[in-house]
Amino acid sequence: MARPPLDGIRIADFTWVWAGPYCTLQLAHLGADVIRIETKTRPCVTRLLPPWPDMKPGGMNRSGYFNQYSQGKRSVTLNFKDPAAHEIARKLIAKSDVVINNFAHGVMEKMGFGYEAVRKIKPDIIAISLTGYGDTGPYRDYIAYGPAQVPLSGLSALTGYRDWPPMHAGFSYADPNGGVHGAFAIIAALFHRAKTGQGQYIDMSQWECAMGVLAEGILEYTMNGREPERIGNEDPQMAPHGIYRCVDRPDKVMGVVVDQFVAIAVADEAEFGRFASTIGKPQLCGDTKFATLKARKSNEQELNRIVEEWTVSHTAVEVARVLQEAGIAAAVVADNKFLSEEDPHLKERNYFVYKEHPEVGTLQHCGMPWKMSRTETSVRSAAPCIGQHTDEVLTEVLGYSADDVAKLRAQGALD
Amino acid sequence: MAGALSSLKVVEIGEMASAPYASKLMADMGAEVIKVERPGAGDHARVRGPFPGGQPHPEKSGLFLYLNTNKLGVTLDIARPEGFEILEKLVAQADVLIHNVWPPDMDRAGLNFERLRKVNPRLVMTSITPFGLTGPYRNLRAEELTVWSAGGVCVLNGAGPDHPELPPLKTFGHQAGFQGGVHGAVATMGAVMAQLRDGEGQHVDVSCQEAIASQLELTFEYWPYMKLIATRLGKKPIQPLEAMQCKDGWIYVCCVEEHQWKAFVDLMGNPEWAGEEIFADRLKRGENWEALVIFLEEYVREQTVLELYKKAQARRIPFAPVSTMGDLLNSEHLQARGFFVEIAQPVAGTHKYPGAPLKYGATPWEIRMPAPILGQHNGEIFGQRLGLSAARLDQLKRTGVI
Repeated sequence: MARPPLDGIRIADFTWVWAGPYCTLQLAHLGADVIRIETKTRPCVTRLLPPWPDMKPGGMNRSGYFNQYSQGKRSVTLNFKDPAAHEIARKLIAKSDVVINNFAHGVMEKMGFGYEAVRKIKPDIIAISLTGYGDTGPYRDYIAYGPAQVPLSGLSALTGYRDWPPMHAGFSYADPNGGVHGAFAIIAALFHRAKTGQGQYIDMSQWECAMGVLAEGILEYTMNGREPERIGNEDPQMAPHGIYRCVDRPDKVMGVVVDQFVAIAVADEAEFGRFASTIGKPQLCGDTKFATLKARKSNEQELNRIVEEWTVSHTAVEVARVLQEAGIAAAVVADNKFLSEEDPHLKERNYFVYKEHPEVGTLQHCGMPWKMSRTETSVRSAAPCIGQHTDEVLTEVLGYSADDVAKLRAQGALD
Repeated sequence: MAGALSSLKVVEIGEMASAPYASKLMADMGAEVIKVERPGAGDHARVRGPFPGGQPHPEKSGLFLYLNTNKLGVTLDIARPEGFEILEKLVAQADVLIHNVWPPDMDRAGLNFERLRKVNPRLVMTSITPFGLTGPYRNLRAEELTVWSAGGVCVLNGAGPDHPELPPLKTFGHQAGFQGGVHGAVATMGAVMAQLRDGEGQHVDVSCQEAIASQLELTFEYWPYMKLIATRLGKKPIQPLEAMQCKDGWIYVCCVEEHQWKAFVDLMGNPEWAGEEIFADRLKRGENWEALVIFLEEYVREQTVLELYKKAQARRIPFAPVSTMGDLLNSEHLQARGFFVEIAQPVAGTHKYPGAPLKYGATPWEIRMPAPILGQHNGEIFGQRLGLSAARLDQLKRTGVI
């Protein structure tokens, strides 16, 4: 295999929490040398959150959250209370192609690493800020937390059961969505630099990236002046189209039985015919209440009850299998255990990554969502322990001697 | 100034969201994108809407018009040998082919990298499919709902422990498609950088299911690390983190850090109940949410969204409105940033669309032309660019190849 696509590209990574690390994870997946600049005096919050192996909290290196999103990266600790740390960071930026942060607006400028400052260090640098609101506009100083960005984006107003209040997406979707858009922008800017020699600054707003993926809702409003209604798991052009209860999983969480569901989408009349036969009710096709899409949409609640009467006595795996055999889109509504242990497909595609980590051992992590035929696509290493690569980067990349490093460490600059 | 990707030539064979979004991201940055649609019906997004006046029309679908800005549009039946031959001519002149043809249809048309690299060894071919091109799910039938569910995100969303009877809840729109698209765009640009370096192309296989599973935050790792299953029924460990109703809409009440809660209590005028032991820290507020919510509702329902939002943010509390579409269009912040853009298309008319997802300092994001009418550029591309004669074009049209 040839070298990975971004081999030789170095990222000075000032990000933390999720949006930024998700962005630089994509670049690490493509082979860039991502160097996370951290400090033990205020570690990334994800280092301190669960899950921890064996339910035992402790330390800064055992969180599955951090270890998932920092795979393949290096970690350097710098304590910016010491001016020497600034000097080290400037040297690192001089040796980097991209500087990235997801601090609140203005923090990088205060640290002396705003775009105008870093382009003086390296004229063709690409700098990007991933913020909640962007770098301009009256709300640029507003604080953005992951869970609040989903409702802010408009996605909550569009998501929900019929006649229910607005709901969430179930995770802080605007974070990874912003992060991956940022990764695209960075590589586009690298392409432009390769063609012209010119670097640039990129202003990313999580809010705006999120609106980019809910355009249908926005267009309903701009075309028709209407707020779209929340329609749960329904689809205007398919029925049945829903998530249906199956027999419970054999598992419990905190004493509560884990329920199990299957997602089914019947796309057209031919599929409905096969669906009705598969569930043993071919007469539905002749029933005026269900014979056409229009009729099924009018009687959708009743239709859903009929579907669920059938699904509820089967496992989700069985339902998905027999419907797929009939050429109908159906899938297990997968939970983390299902993905981890039971999904045969992800296993066969070698999606999961198993890399030795000094403190948690060899545990399963999610890998990259693509395969490439010519260039290397494998995760280089497990996530770094905090400061694991400080000595290595300072000596090998920045040219400090071992004595320099010892001195810097003694004065606290590398905390 | 030209866009960052103005020297990049892309051919897209895309339907609905995934491949079209990947190539839209590139087109809006200056790449030349030739979009190949099926003769007759075209991209399925053309029938999805939303439509002006709610009246379906293939040239008026909001989803299609949004996803296909800045693209040249041709029609071509690639399942016919004459059609595939023309595709080979297009691909010979391109840097990138992005498609989301369903794998069994790829097999039927003979659409594969081995064949196309023969006409262009530099070609980056990106296949964005529901489950990827290997493994037992390769040929499964798939729709947005089933892919989003198979990726492991859907199970996390729903009404929560008070309503276990309600099923997991799909997130609005085509998120599985969009995520396949943007992750596919990242991988494609990676392969383009390797093409620039090595002068060689390659095949990129992108799985929408995997793109979704990559975003499970900390919840995936709860299984390998702690053997815990994460579902929609989990109780939030810390509170408040909820949408609540104001006089004129909904606001997301969000206090993660202790100082944010204190600032919120201060904003509410330091009511006596806030001093109760059962609300003393965020974990206790999580445990006793049923009690807390009654007090909070009493305050929040008397407020207006925008005022409470601004008052909270002035105290560094990260509240956010539950934005309606109208709120987004009217937002003073988004207006100041010029986010929404007006695009005129001759059949659909002029409407406002979401604009640049990112702002570049040196290279523009711009709308140079609206989404194409079905087959709009057949003459320009097949005739002028590929040199097919008028008689040949006529014949291809009569036989339904273009």
